Amino acid sequence: MYTLELKVNGQPYKVEVKATANLLEVLRDKLGITSPKVGCETGDCGTCSVILNGKLVKSCLVNALTAQGAEVLTLEGLGRPGALHPLQQAFHEHYAAQCGFCTPGMIMAAKALLDENPQPTKEDVKHYLSGNLCRCTGYVKIVDAVMAAAEEMRR
Amino acid sequence: MGETEFYKANSVKEACDLLAQFGERATLLAGGTDLMVLVNRRQLIPEVLVYIGECGLNYIREEETGLVIGAATPHVEIVRSELVQKKAPLLAKVISTIGSPAIQNQGTIGGNLGNASPAADSAVALLALGASLKLVAAGWERTVPAADFFVGPGKTVLKPGEIIQEIIIPEEAAEYKWAFRKIGKRRADVCPTVSAAVAVKTENGRCKAARIALGSVAPTPLLSKKAPEMLVGKTVDAALIADVAKAVAEETDPIDDVRATAWYRRRASEALVKELLSQVIG
Amino acid sequence: MALNVVGQRVKRYDGLAHVAGETKFVDDVIVPGMLWTKVFRSPVSKGTIKNIDTSAAEKVAGVAAVITGKDVPNNRYGWGGDQYVLNDTAVRYKGEPIAAVAAVDEDTAAEAVSLIKVDIEEETPVFDPLEAMKPDAPLVRPEGNVFMYGDRPFRAIVLGDVEAGFKEADLIVEGDYLHPWLEHAQLEPQTSLAVPDASGRLTVYTVSQALYLHLQSLCSVLQMPMNKVHYIGGTVGGGFGSKNDMHADHIAAVLALKTGRPVKWRWTREEEMLYSTAKGSWHMHFKDGVKKDGRIIARHVRSIHDSGAYVSLNAYVVDKHSFLVAGPYFIPNVYVQGYAVFTNKPPASSMRGFGITPATFAGEVQMDRIAEAVGIDPWEIRFINAFREGEHTATRRVLDSVALIEVMQTLAKTAGVQLPDRLMAMSSTQRR
Repeated sequence: MYTLELKVNGQPYKVEVKATANLLEVLRDKLGITSPKVGCETGDCGTCSVILNGKLVKSCLVNALTAQGAEVLTLEGLGRPGALHPLQQAFHEHYAAQCGFCTPGMIMAAKALLDENPQPTKEDVKHYLSGNLCRCTGYVKIVDAVMAAAEEMRR
Repeated sequence: MGETEFYKANSVKEACDLLAQFGERATLLAGGTDLMVLVNRRQLIPEVLVYIGECGLNYIREEETGLVIGAATPHVEIVRSELVQKKAPLLAKVISTIGSPAIQNQGTIGGNLGNASPAADSAVALLALGASLKLVAAGWERTVPAADFFVGPGKTVLKPGEIIQEIIIPEEAAEYKWAFRKIGKRRADVCPTVSAAVAVKTENGRCKAARIALGSVAPTPLLSKKAPEMLVGKTVDAALIADVAKAVAEETDPIDDVRATAWYRRRASEALVKELLSQVIG
Repeated sequence: MALNVVGQRVKRYDGLAHVAGETKFVDDVIVPGMLWTKVFRSPVSKGTIKNIDTSAAEKVAGVAAVITGKDVPNNRYGWGGDQYVLNDTAVRYKGEPIAAVAAVDEDTAAEAVSLIKVDIEEETPVFDPLEAMKPDAPLVRPEGNVFMYGDRPFRAIVLGDVEAGFKEADLIVEGDYLHPWLEHAQLEPQTSLAVPDASGRLTVYTVSQALYLHLQSLCSVLQMPMNKVHYIGGTVGGGFGSKNDMHADHIAAVLALKTGRPVKWRWTREEEMLYSTAKGSWHMHFKDGVKKDGRIIARHVRSIHDSGAYVSLNAYVVDKHSFLVAGPYFIPNVYVQGYAVFTNKPPASSMRGFGITPATFAGEVQMDRIAEAVGIDPWEIRFINAFREGEHTATRRVLDSVALIEVMQTLAKTAGVQLPDRLMAMSSTQRR
């Protein structure tokens, strides 16, 4: 076992992990942060998307020890009910969440997009969310929500 | 079963020393986008992980030999590099189609090559660009043409102890007209069914040099031998393009797998080569 | 009276939790001391189990329990009562669960599973339903490869006399249609968490889409009264029919009772793709007797459904397909034969419409073929045959509030298709 120190949603943690552990299992099983989901563990579905040192990653493919000293942002750290981030508000208002399983990954991918590009086109949004699957196929409403949030954040 | 050990290399020298120390027990880890799939599925339980993602191999620069890219440079930085856009736009285009934004942030060019998948996108681009790879170990270094690097699925000429240090793209690559396309079941995060890149240099209406590379159609990324023989010195017309496409398809050695049949891959190879050659010459 | 909901846009009751990351799916429930499950699955598609040796697996440090069929209070379950929780006799598909391990983590459980030795006498499987229907085909099930609807090997829908209809027809239009095997690919894999407590009660967190029916099934497997099982569900990360069959709760529950500890089982995506239920494939043959004016007066459909190895919901899938395959058209003579055929594949089951989407796909392509054969526009052929108010279906159900013609008129307008005035003037309430 190896000691991993990292900050998640601003909170410092120190945990013991196996060398083969991925960041997703550390977040979920060691830290109890469960918004990133286990959908495939092969990097195909995007339900585990988080922001690592400012960059969007699929946490199932991040070897946990390579995140030594890193800052991680998950949906829990973006905003809470009563103080939602504009993306969370827009996903709620535009019915962009159906079963809800892809939602945390979708919102984190959208957050990474808006951090880089505050004025995306619909095509930009589709491209940036292309690594995130929604089997309820609610993509139209998801894209609408991201566009609406981008507009709200520019105000 | 012993627990996997983890070592982070802080320099290329440290990486080479760790590899020398652990030999074949060591598995290299950079971005993890290929390796962690195997680890997560318990298809591979490494004895020793040597992490080389932060050992000073993240760079893109111009040298006398050409454009030089450090092996641990993430895809996104290659795609966004103005230098790459100028010197090897084909590489920027091809790498922009790898994975999805997250995978672009995580995966590295050296990882994509070292994993030696017959489908590796960056390999297809580098074969078409006539690139070479600088390999380094504790005590020696050597440079091999990309065309000689791949030996079989998951197999390369890397000897125990060696790592890919950097990729070198010759200066003249910028003089080529190029085109690339890949066929897959999804626009992102897809392992291509067939991919192809062509790079052609013309002078006074005649073909001066040509390289055609394909992915997922042979045990290794494939660089056509016949295409330059048939094209160089010729005025390229539709009939010649059709003949070249046919000849390249015959060079392929595809398999049936979950993505497509060998029959489909051969037909798609011919169609892709025809389309791409027409694009750059037509 | 003020309407608070009808005509209003209402926010999802669970929407805020979804966007805040607070929704607890089954895998998000984490209990201290929880064990993890991995399952030994049959490596062959058909065979007789001679011996199961779990001794090496039991010795792995961190393993709390290894179970086989003999550890399950009632080892049979499923919609047809024919499935094994853990098969200990004869396996019928590759991937069928034979033994299960509960261990401190997934790595340990996987290591233990790799040490389980199962001696299986392999037999010749059959994968193609058309092959499986032949008299000399290898038997998927001892009683035969075709599901029996009473004394018939198919679901029959009989209306009028199709043979007489064919004689009266001006032309016969035939068509063959195939629909492939499909995986639901819901994002949340099959997952279960079973938590025993000292009072003898068992709490099970489930992804079930059929909570109360699965509660009965689970209590039957465990041979426990329903008041001892607290079954918690309702939060489902996508189902699409894949969670109408119990995939994980039974095994997690038996392991939890055996160990006295909380046990979680989360399937991998690979298991999900290979071994969970699927939409079975279809071969559909249509033979229609048609008059020159476009009226379909007789339809014979023979549909063969690949049901995989177990009954599951397949008998109902074929039922629903057979009831509806004549389409939303008035056809006086109908004969449907719907076959549920067993093959050595994981059981097929429900997915998005229980067999009606293949029926609609095939039936509507057939309508286009009929239109082409009689030389009538594809829109018009549908107007000619569409149900009218008071007519009845192939199953003699008399219809009221029929609006198919009006729906097609609206659809044409929306799609910008200019239909002839005589079609736009038609109405579902006009008699033929």
